[in-house]
Amino acid sequence: MQLRIDLHSTGFEPLVVLTRWQDEQQHRSNVQSAAEAFFIGRVRGVAADGRELEALELEHYPGMTELQLERLALDCCNRHGVISCLVQHRIGRVLPGEAIVLVAIGADRRGPAQRCCQELLEALKHHAPFWKREWRADGSSEWLSGNTPL
Amino acid sequence: MVSVVFMAEPCAGEIRILLFAGLCEQAGWAEQQWPANPNDDARLTPRQLWLKLQLPGDLDQAVRVSINRQFADADTPLQPGDELAFLPPISGG
Repeated sequence: MQLRIDLHSTGFEPLVVLTRWQDEQQHRSNVQSAAEAFFIGRVRGVAADGRELEALELEHYPGMTELQLERLALDCCNRHGVISCLVQHRIGRVLPGEAIVLVAIGADRRGPAQRCCQELLEALKHHAPFWKREWRADGSSEWLSGNTPL
Repeated sequence: MVSVVFMAEPCAGEIRILLFAGLCEQAGWAEQQWPANPNDDARLTPRQLWLKLQLPGDLDQAVRVSINRQFADADTPLQPGDELAFLPPISGG
C-alpha cells in the first residue's frame, strides 16, 4: 500500500497535488488503481455563528498529528484493502475558499475507494489532533469545540 | 510544507505536560515540567495532574489524554520522561 501524508503550512492547490500523486503512482506501482475517490475540503466564508469569517487558524500537535494521521490511514486502508492513499492537510492560517484537506484513495473497485475515502476523512476529523479557531472580520475569535455535521 | 516536526524531548525525571488550543488559552500556559520520582510506589496519573494543576473544565467530558503521542486513559500511571498532553475537542479536516 502506497501512503503519503503531508502537512502544509502554506496554501496548496489540491488538483495540482492530486495530478502529481497520480503521475507518481503510475510510475512507481506495479498495481494500477482502477478506481479513485477523492475529497477536497475548503474553508467556508461564514463562521459557525453566521458572521463573516476572516480566516481559520489550524493548530496541531507536532509529532502526534503526523503519527495519528499515519495510524488512521493505515488502519482504514488495510481494512478496505486499497492500493494507495494520499492525505494533505493545512495548518496555520487558512483563508475562505482555500483548501484545508485533501484525501485521495486508489483501489481496484469503486466501493472500497469511496468507503475508505469517507471513513478516513471522518476519522481524521475526529481523531487527528487538529484544532480550528475562527477569526471574524471584527477581530474577535473563537476555538471550535467540534466538527460540522456530515 | 511540513512533513514531521519533533518537539523537544522531556527531561529525565520529569513529566512534560502540554496544553493546546482553547485549553492552553484558558489555563494561561502551553507547557510545564512536573517532577516525577521513579521510586514512588504510587505513580501520578493524568487525572491527578489535571486536579493538581487546577486545569479548567471537566476532564472526562471534553478533554482527551495522550501519553507519548498516543491516546491514553486518564488513569494510566505516568513514568518519568513521559510526555503528557491534554487535548481539547478535536476539529480537523
